[in-house]
Amino acid sequence: MSRSLFEKVWDAHVVEELPGGNALVFVDRVVAHEITTPQGAIEIQERFGDKLYNPDRIVAMNDHVSPAKDQETAIQAQVLRTWARRHGIKLYDIGDNGICHVMVPERGYVDPGSTMACGDSHTCTLGAFGTFALGIGTTPQAGAMLAQCLILQKPQVMRIDIEGKLGHGATAKDVILYVISKIGVKGGTNYVLEYHGSAVDAMSMDERMTLCNMAIEAGATSGMCEPDETTIDYLRGREAQPAGEAFEKKAAHWRSFRADPGATYDKIVKIDVSDLRPMVTWGTNPGEVVPADGKVPADANQTSLDYMGVEPGTALASLALDQAFIGSCTNSRLSDLRVAAEVLRGRKVTIPTIVTPGSQAVKRAAEREGLHDVFQDAGALWTHSSCGPCLGMSMGVVGPQMRCISSTNRNFPGRMGNGGRVHLASPAVVAASAVLGRIASPEDLQAVDTREKVLA
Amino acid sequence: MIVKGHALHIDRANIDTDQIIPARFLTGISKTGLGQYLFLGMPGGPEMLAAHPEANVVVARENFGCGSSREHAVWALTDRSFKAVIAPSFGRIFHENSYANGLIPIELQGEGLEAAMRSRTVDIDVSNEKLVFEGGKNYGFTLDPLRKRFILEGGFMEWMATKIDTVRTWEASRSKE
Repeated sequence: MSRSLFEKVWDAHVVEELPGGNALVFVDRVVAHEITTPQGAIEIQERFGDKLYNPDRIVAMNDHVSPAKDQETAIQAQVLRTWARRHGIKLYDIGDNGICHVMVPERGYVDPGSTMACGDSHTCTLGAFGTFALGIGTTPQAGAMLAQCLILQKPQVMRIDIEGKLGHGATAKDVILYVISKIGVKGGTNYVLEYHGSAVDAMSMDERMTLCNMAIEAGATSGMCEPDETTIDYLRGREAQPAGEAFEKKAAHWRSFRADPGATYDKIVKIDVSDLRPMVTWGTNPGEVVPADGKVPADANQTSLDYMGVEPGTALASLALDQAFIGSCTNSRLSDLRVAAEVLRGRKVTIPTIVTPGSQAVKRAAEREGLHDVFQDAGALWTHSSCGPCLGMSMGVVGPQMRCISSTNRNFPGRMGNGGRVHLASPAVVAASAVLGRIASPEDLQAVDTREKVLA
Repeated sequence: MIVKGHALHIDRANIDTDQIIPARFLTGISKTGLGQYLFLGMPGGPEMLAAHPEANVVVARENFGCGSSREHAVWALTDRSFKAVIAPSFGRIFHENSYANGLIPIELQGEGLEAAMRSRTVDIDVSNEKLVFEGGKNYGFTLDPLRKRFILEGGFMEWMATKIDTVRTWEASRSKE
């Protein structure tokens, strides 16, 4: 029988069918971080003899607030650290760490066709590799560390065909914002989004990760791309992968994780991105999004309007900004930083702007290319790796009614700080907006031309 | 198991977990004591809670608990003595987390939800999957037949522990292939 990519991965991991359409699903690797793992680790220690199913199937990192910002976060990091040491779990810590969804693929801990879970909703990022990767709560994660499996209802599969060639300054971030606007913030609930089409085939792994990262913002269990030579080339030579023949043998197996021709889907959505332009959210969920040169819709939700301090018909380009942030598991990889640097090169930011690389390895790679100088010459703050202000935890939290344009994934009320107003966009749009101090795309920047003045 | 419920009506869709408990309160290592932060990220949330100190059942619109995986959202509700959430649909991770902690996630649409939005009391017969509102009007609902036991008896982790041998056998047979 013809099967989708998701079905192939699912079938290869079902340990046991359970009542009520549930299944016991084997998890090949659990990713653990300091915010959601300690409670589960402590529970296993206190009630289950501190026995993990297999510590080699766990990789851990202090990533959200690292180094600690206060006593509480210091304790979280120390609990994760001592637990990892006690069990011989590979831990990435201060100095050589990063946002887990950036770091796990960067170090090669993701195998196409495998299953992965983490107490973090953006684990779906890893689906870019043809992995069934999903976010779970602390208790299910503890269950997965105890018994290496999850109880899951088999998700339905939504095939999203993305055709056309990206142009007009549109990026993978704009594609996923557009997809969410089409299917809605709960349109993907209890589905896996399986991305296909020429636009996806043409994307780098960084771009596919951005595409999969925000599958959760459509409510989806995960997003997945078919593994191909781009995927295999990305993973070859990475720290956690074997070398030589052993790697090529794995890669040959990975190539079997493709959707069969004639595979059936529960839903099919077709999108053409040839005419897509940069997108920016105006409201309080990622589905409330319009083109950067667009207006707040006439039928906008009143609660969102009130919170964001906008009205129907307000032009996004008219909104003055208080802060710009480039970072997060959505858009903080080297290619994202290159795009932002290209916009900022020779220009100056006019509002407080923070650039936070997704991992320390990304930071060092960016610095080898001199990107840190570009950002700092432009007047932006160049930080160490962190989740930072994306979720309002540290390093650039916004205040009440402060308006921040951000390359992150959530514009929920209070997300980046109590009362703060967040507009989601691509790194290119955030960089252009940082220069003009209002919502703008790089195209607008060329029109007003600030670069020459600075160079002169 | 019968819950004598008092409703907290949140007549909004897409109440995400950042609104239920903002991330700045996720800096602990304990599952307890989080009730003090409940709904601090929701515009008007603290006032709503203060006006209904007796509330122990949330009634909200679609996609309740969407967003972040933080189980703290469920712990904040249970710490504040909430027993159930009634909504037309839930974020998947919140839904799973509710079962694992004995918070009853009740999916209710259409006329039933509107009745819940009007009723100050909500009595929940968990075993028989029945809701009774003010004036005696009642509606059925459906719980996941496997996970229902975690609400009635708890023991999610104990149940997982019973599967370890099965999983090891499965894994051993897989590696032979």
